Amino acid sequence: MHEHKEFLEEKEQIDRLINNGFFITDVTENLEGAFVQFSNGADTEQLHIQSASARKYFSFLLKKQKEDTISPFT
Amino acid sequence: MADLTTSLAGITSPNPFWLASAPPTNSGYQVQRAFEAGWGGAVWKTMGDPILNVSSRFASTTFNGQRVAGFNNIELITDRSLEANLREIEETKRKFPDRAIIGSIMVEPQQEKWHEIVKKVEAAGVDGLELNFGCPHGMAERGMGSASGQVPELVEKQTSWVKEAAQTPVIVKLTPNITDITFTAQAAVQGGADAVSMINTINSLAGVDLDTWNTIPNVAGKGAHGGYCGPAVKPIALNMVSESARHPEISVPISGMGGVSSWKEAVEFMLMGASNVQVCTAAMHHGFRIVEDMIDGLNNYLDEKQIYSVNQLIGQSVPKFSDWGELDLNYRVVARINNDACINCNKCHIACEDTSHQCIDMHKDDQGNDILQVREEDCVGCNLCSIVCPVDGAIDMVEAPRQTGDEPMTWNERQSLLSLMPAK
Ligand SMILES: Cc1cc2nc3c(=O)[nH]c(=O)nc-3n(C[C@H](O)[C@H](O)[C@H](O)COP(=O)(O)O)c2cc1C
Repeated sequence: MHEHKEFLEEKEQIDRLINNGFFITDVTENLEGAFVQFSNGADTEQLHIQSASARKYFSFLLKKQKEDTISPFT
Repeated sequence: MADLTTSLAGITSPNPFWLASAPPTNSGYQVQRAFEAGWGGAVWKTMGDPILNVSSRFASTTFNGQRVAGFNNIELITDRSLEANLREIEETKRKFPDRAIIGSIMVEPQQEKWHEIVKKVEAAGVDGLELNFGCPHGMAERGMGSASGQVPELVEKQTSWVKEAAQTPVIVKLTPNITDITFTAQAAVQGGADAVSMINTINSLAGVDLDTWNTIPNVAGKGAHGGYCGPAVKPIALNMVSESARHPEISVPISGMGGVSSWKEAVEFMLMGASNVQVCTAAMHHGFRIVEDMIDGLNNYLDEKQIYSVNQLIGQSVPKFSDWGELDLNYRVVARINNDACINCNKCHIACEDTSHQCIDMHKDDQGNDILQVREEDCVGCNLCSIVCPVDGAIDMVEAPRQTGDEPMTWNERQSLLSLMPAK
């Protein structure tokens, strides 16, 4: 299996949104993985994150968001 | 030479190696020979109303040529009279005053029966008592042993009856045939136990004879479940000791047993919170003189580590033992194959390809030789390849450097972050 490749693809999608000023506003986890909602204040986007490493990665971003007191933790 | 003297709830012995209550401690002759060999203490074969045993009684698991990887028995408690046992206890204590002799006892769950046996056994000069709430067969069918030991209320009640009469420290020996041993350990503490010991044997059926279709062992063509012990049960016993040691309500010392075969397991049990260890199967397999190597090995280990007393080991690894939810999700180890040591048996490749994450590739080196290589980015650090590898040093599990996003985070931290999301 090439799980790392899948992770890199999902990470790229996440990073693209973060680099464009989006932050995570909601996470729903279910049998299919995680549905992560992003917002930049005006627009919202949702990513379906499946790989284990990417699900760890957005958790890290969430922690960072909280430490930096970025919405929705403000 | 380090100081090997240990104390369990005030019962001292010159070293942490006690013989567990079992055939090796069936008589004064045996216990005295054991003490001559160097054992620090002995828990006498469980005394109670003398029983009747069946023949045949023992069976063992031979695994890939390793004899007695596990040991199974359907033996009950002592078949000798209390008077005979007590006479020999008295004599043994007189000859070996510095060794610990513990009277293991078991009676029906009645207050006056416990009071009677406690007084009689203590009068023989034992250093402590061990209540056998663990024997999983035979005695359990009569409401004793593990039948009592599986019900926390009965453990508490009977312990408190013993404590009403006892002058010496009371150790409660627990059965592993229960979902969570900390429940019965807490019950023992609530009943006033001065220490707990674990584990007694695990319910088992050693096997079935493929020709006769009889169980192993069989008694005239019939079998019954027995109790399993020996090296195979060590991880189960070690977990139970560790879970008890880290439990805030289990505030008494622990005597650990189950698969202790050398000084190394003794150190493991003590690091995980045991104050001493008990041994049965290894002595039955190799004889009493096995204790010489145990003492030497422990001494050398402590000297190498510059530890002056064996007691300094007790509980050192307990803070390192936690719940899964407290482990760092982002810590990573990866397999690295040392091609100079690798014999190209391909076991790691097969294991990874068939049953893990398909990240060990077969390549050719510059000279056209077959080599195996791990795609580290896809390796999840499961350890399987290094476990199945037959050559020491051919596969190392190495820490992967952390990258951005790999900062430490536990599952519990992650879930509490998610729960803070405003939509939740
Ligand atoms: C043949 C046999 C008889 C045993 N009899 C007793 C007993 O009378 N009382 C008791 O508390 N435990 C008894 N045990 C259990 C041992 O004391 C010990 O708890 C168990 O064997 C685990 O230790 P080990 O892995 O070193 O054998 C017996 C074990 C064996 C193998």
